[in-house]
Amino acid sequence: MTTEARIADVAFSRYDGPRSGRLAAIWSLARWSALRALGARRSWKAKVIPVALTLLAFSPALVILGIRALFAGSTLAHDASTALPYSDYTSAISVVILVYSVILIPELVCPDRRDRTLSLYFSTAIGPSDYVIGKILAAVLPLCALTLLPPLLLYVGNVLFAVHPVGYLENHLADPLRIIGGGLTIAVTYGLVGLAISSLTSRRAFAVGGYLAFLAIPTIIGGVLAHALNERYLRLLAFAAAPQQTSRGLYPGYTDRGNISAWVWASVSVELIVVAIAVLAIRYGRDEG
Amino acid sequence: MSQNGETGPLIDVEGVVKRYGSVVALDGVTARFTDRAVGLLGANGAGKSTLMRSMLGLIRPDEGQISVLGMNATERSWEIRRQLGYMPEHDSLPMGMTARDLVVHLGELRGLPRRVAVLRASEVLFQVGLEEERSRLIRTFSVGMKQRTNLAQAIVHSPRLVILDEPTNGLDPAGRDEMLALVRRLSSELDIAVVMSSHVLEDVARTCDSVLVLREGRVVATRRIESPDRDGHGDVEVQVTGDVEAFAAAVRRLGLAIRPSGERLLVSGGDRSAVLRGVRDAACDAGVGVHELRPAGPTLEESLIGAIG
Repeated sequence: MTTEARIADVAFSRYDGPRSGRLAAIWSLARWSALRALGARRSWKAKVIPVALTLLAFSPALVILGIRALFAGSTLAHDASTALPYSDYTSAISVVILVYSVILIPELVCPDRRDRTLSLYFSTAIGPSDYVIGKILAAVLPLCALTLLPPLLLYVGNVLFAVHPVGYLENHLADPLRIIGGGLTIAVTYGLVGLAISSLTSRRAFAVGGYLAFLAIPTIIGGVLAHALNERYLRLLAFAAAPQQTSRGLYPGYTDRGNISAWVWASVSVELIVVAIAVLAIRYGRDEG
Repeated sequence: MSQNGETGPLIDVEGVVKRYGSVVALDGVTARFTDRAVGLLGANGAGKSTLMRSMLGLIRPDEGQISVLGMNATERSWEIRRQLGYMPEHDSLPMGMTARDLVVHLGELRGLPRRVAVLRASEVLFQVGLEEERSRLIRTFSVGMKQRTNLAQAIVHSPRLVILDEPTNGLDPAGRDEMLALVRRLSSELDIAVVMSSHVLEDVARTCDSVLVLREGRVVATRRIESPDRDGHGDVEVQVTGDVEAFAAAVRRLGLAIRPSGERLLVSGGDRSAVLRGVRDAACDAGVGVHELRPAGPTLEESLIGAIG
């Protein structure tokens, strides 16, 4: 026990240590934005839906790997291993990815406009272009957790549960690259389109509605017209399907209901990305804060 | 603006012109900011905010140039914004964040490592009197608490200079007093130079060492603000009720000089405290009442009104 006591004053001290640069500021913006949109440092209610959707996205992989672990060597385990090809994984959870992006992305940008926080951000080391890059990262990286990690987990599980793991690896050497390429395509397309639409309004509800309408209405119109006019390329209006079809096109044996090549779908995805970037550039290029 | 021990001006504004279409927001503004606390005074639309945002490099002047801490505001705006603190005029805080999270976040955006930002957020929130409320959401704050949060985010990264745009906007009298005291502390105790805008002279007089008056985008007056504490000479003007001759005689007996100055008497002959003691003692000796006592010469308000025309 000490006989000396000291009263510590929380004084204001000067900081003369190292200061990080622009990339660190962008990363900080991306990290804070993504974590907050996913419910970090907020009430449990804000966390429930993102966590539930993440679990749903992983559930096909977990179910398949669980069956293979519990019923190893049985017909059921064999059937499970072929039940969901990597090419179809993101299609199987496409609704989950869509709902996740609808919840996540408007929350990244709408509150900043609503609360007029942009002027505060732009008075720091963050400029408009840095802001957009940070928000793109904040949108794309969490989406990648849904589009990349579950099929990669399935792949790792399939390797581990294979009768000849080395042989499985040799036969499926390109699959991890396809999974990464396809997952990135979906995350980047959904992320950028969602950000572009959300940047047009300060109201989250309008952004959610606009995003869903942009993905759903052209799909419905395109589908109806394609059927009525017997013009298959009108199916390309299904914007939500474009990144999914592009992703599927990375795998051998790609087929499309309307005989549209994966390259055409890929060009639609690229166009969506380019238009979204243009909208973001116009929307934030004018902002001086 | 006069020198105050700095090796160079904190801010050097040279012939800055900024136009928005046919509206000239800044019309050839030239000024050197060397005092530790400078007030920008002017009515709404005088060009205060435009000048401040030009200093931060957020607005590019059409003509002229601005140097901040030796850096060109147009060419090195990113570096300037990283080093300076800025408190915007309008309410621009994210309502869904806690004060602590916001201050940490903006500290990181201005280059502080995360750990340092967390530590410094606690320090500055204590300094602005929000240590108890740091974990509350900003949307639950009063206007005064929001303004203090706004000030905390502006100084979290230990800037050499902080720019405060109308920091007392929307505050009630008590909140305004607290904010002005905090602003004064920045330059006097925390070693942070201050440029503060206001359209209220009293706010500037209470917190700043000098004032620059803007009108219609032009600098119409610059004055150093003298206070009794900082003022060297001690001449005072006094108005007494009772026997004025007896009072004057008593003042002279104390070794001070006294002469009429308009409706008042000008007392001089020592430093401020000696003159004030003399007036007090002479009033006692002569049995007169002191009706008015003020520093000699025009008040800041009178001198600025004279300069503005």
